[in-house]
Amino acid sequence: MDERRSDLKKIIMDTKTLPTLPGVINKLNSLSNDDKSSVQEMARIVSADQVLSARILRLANSPSYGFYRVSTISNAMILLGVNVVKSLALSSSIFEIMEKNSVGLWEHSLGTATAAGIIARKLALPEVEEITTAGLLHDIGKVIIGLKCAEQMPEIRSRIKLDDLYISDAEKAVLDTDHAEVGGWLSKSWFLPDKLSEPIAYHHNVAGSEDHRIKTSVVHLADVLIKASGFGDSGDSYVPPIQQLAWDQLKLEESLLQEIVVELEDKLVEVKNFSLELASAAVA
Amino acid sequence: MQKIPLNLAAAEMVLARDIFKNDSPTGMPICGKGTELSDSLISRLQQMGVQSLYVEGHPVWQEGDRGLTEQLADLEKRFSKTMDNRYNATLFEVYRTHFTAAMGDDGGRTEE
Repeated sequence: MDERRSDLKKIIMDTKTLPTLPGVINKLNSLSNDDKSSVQEMARIVSADQVLSARILRLANSPSYGFYRVSTISNAMILLGVNVVKSLALSSSIFEIMEKNSVGLWEHSLGTATAAGIIARKLALPEVEEITTAGLLHDIGKVIIGLKCAEQMPEIRSRIKLDDLYISDAEKAVLDTDHAEVGGWLSKSWFLPDKLSEPIAYHHNVAGSEDHRIKTSVVHLADVLIKASGFGDSGDSYVPPIQQLAWDQLKLEESLLQEIVVELEDKLVEVKNFSLELASAAVA
Repeated sequence: MQKIPLNLAAAEMVLARDIFKNDSPTGMPICGKGTELSDSLISRLQQMGVQSLYVEGHPVWQEGDRGLTEQLADLEKRFSKTMDNRYNATLFEVYRTHFTAAMGDDGGRTEE
Protein backbone atom coordinates (compact mmCIF):
# COMPACT_ATOMS: atom_id res chain seq x y z
CA MET A 1 0.00 0.00 0.00
CA ASP A 2 2.58 2.49 1.17
CA GLU A 3 4.93 1.56 -1.60
CA ARG A 4 2.31 2.20 -4.23
CA ARG A 5 1.63 5.57 -2.75
CA SER A 6 5.25 6.65 -2.61
CA ASP A 7 5.73 5.48 -6.20
CA LEU A 8 2.77 7.59 -7.14
CA LYS A 9 4.15 10.50 -5.17
CA LYS A 10 7.32 10.26 -7.24
CA ILE A 11 5.34 10.27 -10.47
CA ILE A 12 3.08 13.09 -9.38
CA MET A 13 5.87 15.21 -8.04
CA ASP A 14 8.20 14.64 -10.99
CA THR A 15 9.53 18.14 -11.11
CA LYS A 16 10.35 18.09 -14.79
CA THR A 17 6.70 18.15 -15.77
CA LEU A 18 5.18 19.84 -12.75
CA PRO A 19 3.68 23.24 -13.44
CA THR A 20 5.95 25.86 -11.94
CA LEU A 21 5.13 29.20 -10.42
CA PRO A 22 6.53 32.17 -12.28
CA GLY A 23 9.77 33.43 -10.75
CA VAL A 24 8.14 36.78 -10.12
CA ILE A 25 6.06 35.26 -7.32
CA ASN A 26 9.06 33.86 -5.50
CA LYS A 27 10.84 37.18 -5.81
CA LEU A 28 7.80 39.05 -4.52
CA ASN A 29 7.51 36.62 -1.62
CA SER A 30 11.09 37.08 -0.55
CA LEU A 31 10.89 40.86 -0.95
CA SER A 32 7.66 41.26 0.97
CA ASN A 33 9.09 39.28 3.87
CA ASP A 34 11.95 41.75 4.03
CA ASP A 35 11.03 44.90 5.94
CA LYS A 36 13.63 46.97 4.14
CA SER A 37 12.28 46.40 0.67
CA SER A 38 10.22 49.20 -0.80
CA VAL A 39 7.12 49.18 -2.92
CA GLN A 40 9.23 50.64 -5.74
CA GLU A 41 11.50 47.61 -5.69
CA MET A 42 8.55 45.28 -5.87
CA ALA A 43 6.97 47.36 -8.61
CA ARG A 44 10.18 46.98 -10.64
CA ILE A 45 9.92 43.21 -10.39
CA VAL A 46 6.28 43.22 -11.37
CA SER A 47 6.95 45.60 -14.25
CA ALA A 48 9.32 43.06 -15.74
CA ASP A 49 6.35 40.77 -16.30
CA GLN A 50 4.16 42.44 -18.88
CA VAL A 51 1.22 40.09 -18.54
CA LEU A 52 1.07 40.44 -14.78
CA SER A 53 1.48 44.23 -15.07
CA ALA A 54 -1.43 44.40 -17.45
CA ARG A 55 -3.61 42.43 -15.06
CA ILE A 56 -2.69 44.56 -12.07
CA LEU A 57 -3.43 47.78 -13.92
CA ARG A 58 -6.65 46.32 -15.17
CA LEU A 59 -7.67 45.41 -11.63
CA ALA A 60 -6.62 48.76 -10.20
CA ASN A 61 -8.68 50.51 -12.84
CA SER A 62 -11.69 48.24 -12.47
CA PRO A 63 -14.86 49.87 -11.21
CA SER A 64 -15.05 47.46 -8.26
CA TYR A 65 -12.06 49.25 -6.72
CA GLY A 66 -13.23 52.63 -7.80
CA PHE A 67 -9.85 54.28 -8.41
CA TYR A 68 -9.67 55.68 -11.85
CA ARG A 69 -6.75 56.21 -14.22
CA VAL A 70 -4.07 54.34 -12.36
CA SER A 71 -1.23 54.12 -14.85
CA THR A 72 1.86 53.03 -12.94
CA ILE A 73 2.54 49.74 -11.24
CA SER A 74 3.86 51.38 -8.10
CA ASN A 75 0.71 53.47 -7.72
CA ALA A 76 -1.39 50.38 -8.33
CA MET A 77 0.58 48.51 -5.67
CA ILE A 78 0.12 51.29 -3.15
CA LEU A 79 -3.58 51.48 -3.88
CA LEU A 80 -4.30 47.77 -4.00
CA GLY A 81 -1.83 46.78 -1.30
CA VAL A 82 1.11 44.48 -1.71
CA ASN A 83 -0.85 41.45 -0.51
CA VAL A 84 -3.54 41.90 -3.12
CA VAL A 85 -0.90 42.14 -5.83
CA LYS A 86 0.79 39.01 -4.51
CA SER A 87 -2.51 37.13 -4.42
CA LEU A 88 -3.32 38.37 -7.88
CA ALA A 89 0.03 37.18 -9.20
CA LEU A 90 -0.44 33.81 -7.55
CA SER A 91 -4.05 33.39 -8.52
CA SER A 92 -3.65 34.44 -12.13
CA SER A 93 -0.92 31.87 -12.61
CA ILE A 94 -3.07 29.26 -10.87
CA PHE A 95 -5.87 30.34 -13.15
CA GLU A 96 -3.77 29.61 -16.19
CA ILE A 97 -2.99 26.15 -14.92
CA MET A 98 -6.56 25.47 -13.87
CA GLU A 99 -8.58 27.07 -16.60
CA LYS A 100 -7.08 24.81 -19.21
CA ASN A 101 -8.31 21.82 -17.27
CA SER A 102 -11.76 22.59 -16.08
CA VAL A 103 -13.93 25.65 -15.90
CA GLY A 104 -16.16 23.94 -13.33
CA LEU A 105 -13.25 23.41 -10.96
CA TRP A 106 -12.08 26.97 -11.50
CA GLU A 107 -15.52 28.26 -10.54
CA HIS A 108 -15.60 25.99 -7.50
CA SER A 109 -12.22 27.37 -6.45
CA LEU A 110 -13.17 30.97 -7.09
CA GLY A 111 -16.40 30.45 -5.16
CA THR A 112 -14.53 28.87 -2.25
CA ALA A 113 -12.11 31.81 -2.22
CA THR A 114 -15.08 34.20 -2.08
CA ALA A 115 -16.71 32.24 0.72
CA ALA A 116 -13.44 32.02 2.69
CA GLY A 117 -13.01 35.79 2.42
CA ILE A 118 -16.54 36.44 3.63
CA ILE A 119 -16.18 34.06 6.59
CA ALA A 120 -12.81 35.54 7.56
CA ARG A 121 -14.18 39.08 7.42
CA LYS A 122 -17.33 38.17 9.35
CA LEU A 123 -15.22 36.61 12.09
CA ALA A 124 -12.79 39.55 11.99
CA LEU A 125 -9.85 37.19 11.44
CA PRO A 126 -6.41 38.52 10.56
CA GLU A 127 -4.85 37.85 7.14
CA VAL A 128 -8.05 37.75 5.11
CA GLU A 129 -6.05 37.88 1.85
CA GLU A 130 -4.08 34.77 2.75
CA ILE A 131 -7.23 32.91 3.75
CA THR A 132 -8.84 33.88 0.45
CA THR A 133 -5.82 32.67 -1.49
CA ALA A 134 -5.85 29.40 0.47
CA GLY A 135 -9.49 29.00 -0.56
CA LEU A 136 -8.57 29.57 -4.17
CA LEU A 137 -5.81 26.97 -4.03
CA HIS A 138 -7.47 24.34 -1.85
CA ASP A 139 -8.24 21.96 -4.72
CA ILE A 140 -5.02 22.43 -6.66
CA GLY A 141 -4.32 18.74 -6.00
CA LYS A 142 -7.21 17.88 -8.33
CA VAL A 143 -5.50 19.74 -11.15
CA ILE A 144 -2.26 17.87 -10.57
CA ILE A 145 -4.05 14.51 -10.40
CA GLY A 146 -5.82 15.41 -13.63
CA LEU A 147 -2.47 16.18 -15.27
CA LYS A 148 -0.44 13.31 -13.87
CA CYS A 149 -2.96 10.52 -13.58
CA ALA A 150 -4.92 11.11 -16.76
CA GLU A 151 -5.11 7.36 -17.36
CA GLN A 152 -6.85 6.73 -14.05
CA MET A 153 -9.26 9.66 -14.35
CA PRO A 154 -12.01 7.72 -16.17
CA GLU A 155 -11.97 5.12 -13.38
CA ILE A 156 -12.14 7.83 -10.69
CA ARG A 157 -15.04 9.47 -12.48
CA SER A 158 -16.95 6.24 -12.94
CA ARG A 159 -16.43 5.32 -9.25
CA ILE A 160 -17.93 8.66 -8.24
CA LYS A 161 -20.91 8.02 -10.44
CA LEU A 162 -21.53 4.31 -10.02
CA ASP A 163 -20.60 3.89 -6.34
CA ASP A 164 -21.96 7.31 -5.32
CA LEU A 165 -18.62 8.31 -3.80
CA TYR A 166 -17.08 11.61 -2.79
CA ILE A 167 -14.22 12.46 -5.11
CA SER A 168 -11.72 12.00 -2.23
CA ASP A 169 -12.93 8.46 -1.59
CA ALA A 170 -12.83 7.62 -5.29
CA GLU A 171 -9.28 9.01 -5.52
CA LYS A 172 -8.23 6.99 -2.49
CA ALA A 173 -9.77 3.83 -3.93
CA VAL A 174 -8.00 4.23 -7.26
CA LEU A 175 -4.79 6.09 -6.39
CA ASP A 176 -4.27 5.40 -2.70
CA THR A 177 -4.05 9.11 -2.05
CA ASP A 178 -6.37 12.09 -2.54
CA HIS A 179 -6.28 15.63 -3.89
CA ALA A 180 -5.75 17.16 -0.45
CA GLU A 181 -2.59 15.15 0.15
CA VAL A 182 -1.35 15.77 -3.39
CA GLY A 183 -2.06 19.49 -2.90
CA GLY A 184 0.02 19.33 0.27
CA TRP A 185 2.93 17.77 -1.62
CA LEU A 186 2.65 20.35 -4.35
CA SER A 187 2.60 23.28 -1.96
CA LYS A 188 5.77 21.91 -0.36
CA SER A 189 7.48 21.76 -3.72
CA TRP A 190 6.31 25.29 -4.48
CA PHE A 191 7.62 26.39 -1.07
CA LEU A 192 4.28 27.96 -0.20
CA PRO A 193 4.05 29.15 3.41
CA ASP A 194 2.39 26.87 6.00
CA LYS A 195 -0.58 29.21 6.24
CA LEU A 196 -1.41 28.20 2.67
CA SER A 197 -0.18 24.60 2.61
CA GLU A 198 -2.03 23.51 5.78
CA PRO A 199 -5.49 24.59 4.58
CA ILE A 200 -4.75 22.94 1.21
CA ALA A 201 -3.59 19.66 2.73
CA TYR A 202 -6.18 19.43 5.51
CA HIS A 203 -9.37 20.98 4.19
CA HIS A 204 -11.05 17.58 4.58
CA ASN A 205 -9.36 16.81 7.91
CA VAL A 206 -9.04 19.92 10.04
CA ALA A 207 -7.48 17.94 12.90
CA GLY A 208 -4.40 17.32 10.74
CA SER A 209 -3.54 21.01 10.71
CA GLU A 210 -1.14 21.93 13.48
CA ASP A 211 -0.32 25.61 13.26
CA HIS A 212 -3.13 27.08 11.19
CA ARG A 213 -6.27 25.38 12.38
CA ILE A 214 -8.43 28.48 12.14
CA LYS A 215 -7.45 29.14 8.52
CA THR A 216 -7.91 25.46 7.72
CA SER A 217 -11.36 25.53 9.35
CA VAL A 218 -12.35 28.55 7.29
CA VAL A 219 -11.35 26.86 4.03
CA HIS A 220 -13.08 23.65 5.12
CA LEU A 221 -16.29 25.53 5.80
CA ALA A 222 -15.99 27.61 2.62
CA ASP A 223 -15.69 24.43 0.56
CA VAL A 224 -18.79 23.00 2.27
CA LEU A 225 -20.77 26.20 1.66
CA ILE A 226 -19.93 26.33 -2.04
CA LYS A 227 -20.93 22.71 -2.47
CA ALA A 228 -24.15 23.40 -0.58
CA SER A 229 -24.79 26.33 -2.88
CA GLY A 230 -24.28 24.14 -5.94
CA PHE A 231 -21.87 26.66 -7.47
CA GLY A 232 -19.21 25.38 -9.88
CA ASP A 233 -18.17 21.76 -10.19
CA SER A 234 -15.69 20.12 -7.86
CA GLY A 235 -16.00 16.58 -9.19
CA ASP A 236 -18.88 15.21 -7.15
CA SER A 237 -22.14 16.86 -6.17
CA TYR A 238 -22.44 15.96 -2.49
CA VAL A 239 -21.99 18.36 0.41
CA PRO A 240 -19.21 17.04 2.66
CA PRO A 241 -19.88 16.82 6.41
CA ILE A 242 -18.99 19.89 8.46
CA GLN A 243 -16.40 18.77 11.00
CA GLN A 244 -17.14 19.48 14.62
CA LEU A 245 -13.61 20.69 15.20
CA ALA A 246 -14.03 23.34 12.48
CA TRP A 247 -17.42 24.38 13.86
CA ASP A 248 -15.90 24.76 17.34
CA GLN A 249 -12.74 26.51 16.14
CA LEU A 250 -14.79 29.18 14.38
CA LYS A 251 -17.37 29.35 17.20
CA LEU A 252 -20.13 29.07 14.62
CA GLU A 253 -23.81 29.34 15.30
CA GLU A 254 -26.88 29.27 13.12
CA SER A 255 -27.44 33.03 13.00
CA LEU A 256 -23.84 33.62 11.93
CA LEU A 257 -24.16 30.96 9.25
CA GLN A 258 -27.29 32.70 8.01
CA GLU A 259 -25.50 36.03 7.63
CA ILE A 260 -22.62 34.35 5.83
CA VAL A 261 -24.91 32.50 3.41
CA VAL A 262 -26.89 35.64 2.53
CA GLU A 263 -23.71 37.60 1.83
CA LEU A 264 -22.16 34.72 -0.09
CA GLU A 265 -25.16 34.14 -2.36
CA ASP A 266 -25.25 37.86 -3.05
CA LYS A 267 -21.58 37.84 -4.07
CA LEU A 268 -21.82 34.68 -6.15
CA VAL A 269 -24.05 36.53 -8.61
CA GLU A 270 -21.00 38.66 -9.38
CA VAL A 271 -18.39 35.92 -9.15
CA LYS A 272 -19.68 34.35 -12.33
CA ASN A 273 -19.15 37.64 -14.14
CA PHE A 274 -15.74 38.05 -12.55
CA SER A 275 -14.77 34.58 -13.67
CA LEU A 276 -15.59 35.58 -17.22
CA GLU A 277 -13.76 38.89 -16.86
CA LEU A 278 -10.62 37.23 -15.56
CA ALA A 279 -10.82 34.77 -18.42
CA SER A 280 -10.79 37.61 -20.90
CA ALA A 281 -8.03 39.37 -18.93
CA ALA A 282 -5.90 36.24 -19.16
CA VAL A 283 -6.27 36.29 -22.91
CA ALA A 284 -5.64 40.03 -23.20
CA MET B 1 -32.72 38.73 -6.29
CA GLN B 2 -32.09 38.69 -10.00
CA LYS B 3 -29.82 40.69 -12.31
CA ILE B 4 -31.64 41.74 -15.46
CA PRO B 5 -30.77 43.95 -18.43
CA LEU B 6 -32.61 47.26 -18.35
CA ASN B 7 -34.70 46.45 -21.41
CA LEU B 8 -36.39 43.64 -19.47
CA ALA B 9 -37.19 45.91 -16.53
CA ALA B 10 -40.87 46.68 -16.04
CA ALA B 11 -42.99 48.88 -13.80
CA GLU B 12 -43.63 47.58 -10.27
CA MET B 13 -40.36 45.65 -10.06
CA VAL B 14 -38.44 46.54 -6.89
CA LEU B 15 -34.71 47.33 -6.88
CA ALA B 16 -32.65 44.88 -4.82
CA ARG B 17 -29.47 47.00 -5.06
CA ASP B 18 -28.60 50.65 -5.47
CA ILE B 19 -27.97 51.84 -9.01
CA PHE B 20 -24.85 53.99 -9.48
CA LYS B 21 -23.88 56.31 -12.25
CA ASN B 22 -21.62 54.56 -14.79
CA ASP B 23 -22.25 51.29 -12.89
CA SER B 24 -19.38 52.26 -10.59
CA PRO B 25 -19.76 51.91 -6.79
CA THR B 26 -17.92 55.20 -6.39
CA GLY B 27 -20.18 56.92 -8.90
CA MET B 28 -23.12 58.99 -7.84
CA PRO B 29 -26.02 56.88 -6.60
CA ILE B 30 -28.95 57.36 -8.96
CA CYS B 31 -31.58 55.23 -7.36
CA GLY B 32 -31.71 53.43 -4.01
CA LYS B 33 -32.56 49.83 -3.31
CA GLY B 34 -36.18 49.24 -2.37
CA THR B 35 -37.36 51.71 -5.02
CA GLU B 36 -40.32 50.53 -7.08
CA LEU B 37 -39.74 51.01 -10.80
CA SER B 38 -42.15 52.98 -12.96
CA ASP B 39 -42.22 53.50 -16.72
CA SER B 40 -40.94 57.06 -16.42
CA LEU B 41 -38.13 55.96 -14.09
CA ILE B 42 -37.11 53.20 -16.50
CA SER B 43 -36.92 55.63 -19.43
CA ARG B 44 -34.81 58.01 -17.33
CA LEU B 45 -32.46 55.15 -16.45
CA GLN B 46 -32.22 54.40 -20.17
CA GLN B 47 -31.24 57.99 -20.86
CA MET B 48 -28.56 57.80 -18.19
CA GLY B 49 -27.02 54.77 -19.86
CA VAL B 50 -27.76 52.20 -17.16
CA GLN B 51 -27.19 48.73 -18.62
CA SER B 52 -28.47 46.33 -16.00
CA LEU B 53 -29.97 46.28 -12.52
CA TYR B 54 -30.77 43.95 -9.64
CA VAL B 55 -34.42 43.43 -8.77
CA GLU B 56 -36.16 41.58 -5.92
CA GLY B 57 -37.53 38.11 -6.45
CA HIS B 58 -37.27 36.41 -9.82
CA PRO B 59 -39.59 38.31 -12.15
CA VAL B 60 -37.96 37.42 -15.47
CA TRP B 61 -37.91 33.82 -16.58
CA GLN B 62 -35.48 32.74 -19.23
CA GLU B 63 -34.73 29.38 -20.70
CA GLY B 64 -32.62 27.34 -18.31
CA ASP B 65 -33.80 29.11 -15.15
CA ARG B 66 -34.74 26.70 -12.43
CA GLY B 67 -37.89 27.05 -10.38
CA LEU B 68 -37.88 26.87 -6.59
CA THR B 69 -39.24 23.32 -6.51
CA GLU B 70 -36.36 22.12 -8.67
CA GLN B 71 -33.82 24.16 -6.71
CA LEU B 72 -34.97 22.62 -3.44
CA ALA B 73 -34.92 19.12 -4.92
CA ASP B 74 -31.32 19.70 -6.03
CA LEU B 75 -30.46 21.04 -2.58
CA GLU B 76 -31.88 17.92 -0.92
CA LYS B 77 -29.90 15.72 -3.26
CA ARG B 78 -26.68 17.58 -2.46
CA PHE B 79 -27.27 17.13 1.27
CA SER B 80 -28.51 13.54 0.99
CA LYS B 81 -25.26 12.01 2.28
CA THR B 82 -24.88 14.24 5.30
CA MET B 83 -28.28 15.07 6.75
CA ASP B 84 -27.46 13.01 9.83
CA ASN B 85 -24.64 15.45 10.64
CA ARG B 86 -26.31 18.07 12.82
CA TYR B 87 -24.20 20.95 11.51
CA ASN B 88 -25.10 20.02 7.94
CA ALA B 89 -28.75 19.74 8.91
CA THR B 90 -28.49 23.29 10.24
CA LEU B 91 -26.82 24.47 7.04
CA PHE B 92 -29.49 22.76 4.95
CA GLU B 93 -32.20 24.71 6.77
CA VAL B 94 -30.28 27.97 6.29
CA TYR B 95 -30.04 27.35 2.55
CA ARG B 96 -33.63 26.18 2.22
CA THR B 97 -34.84 29.37 3.89
CA HIS B 98 -32.51 31.47 1.77
CA PHE B 99 -33.52 29.97 -1.58
CA THR B 100 -37.18 30.29 -0.70
CA ALA B 101 -36.77 33.93 0.29
CA ALA B 102 -34.56 34.74 -2.72
CA MET B 103 -37.22 33.60 -5.15
CA GLY B 104 -39.55 36.15 -3.59
CA ASP B 105 -43.29 36.05 -4.15
CA ASP B 106 -42.90 33.89 -7.23
CA GLY B 107 -41.53 31.20 -4.93
CA GLY B 108 -43.87 28.32 -5.63
CA ARG B 109 -44.04 28.99 -9.33
CA THR B 110 -42.49 26.49 -11.68
CA GLU B 111 -40.55 27.42 -14.76
CA GLU B 112 -42.59 28.76 -17.61
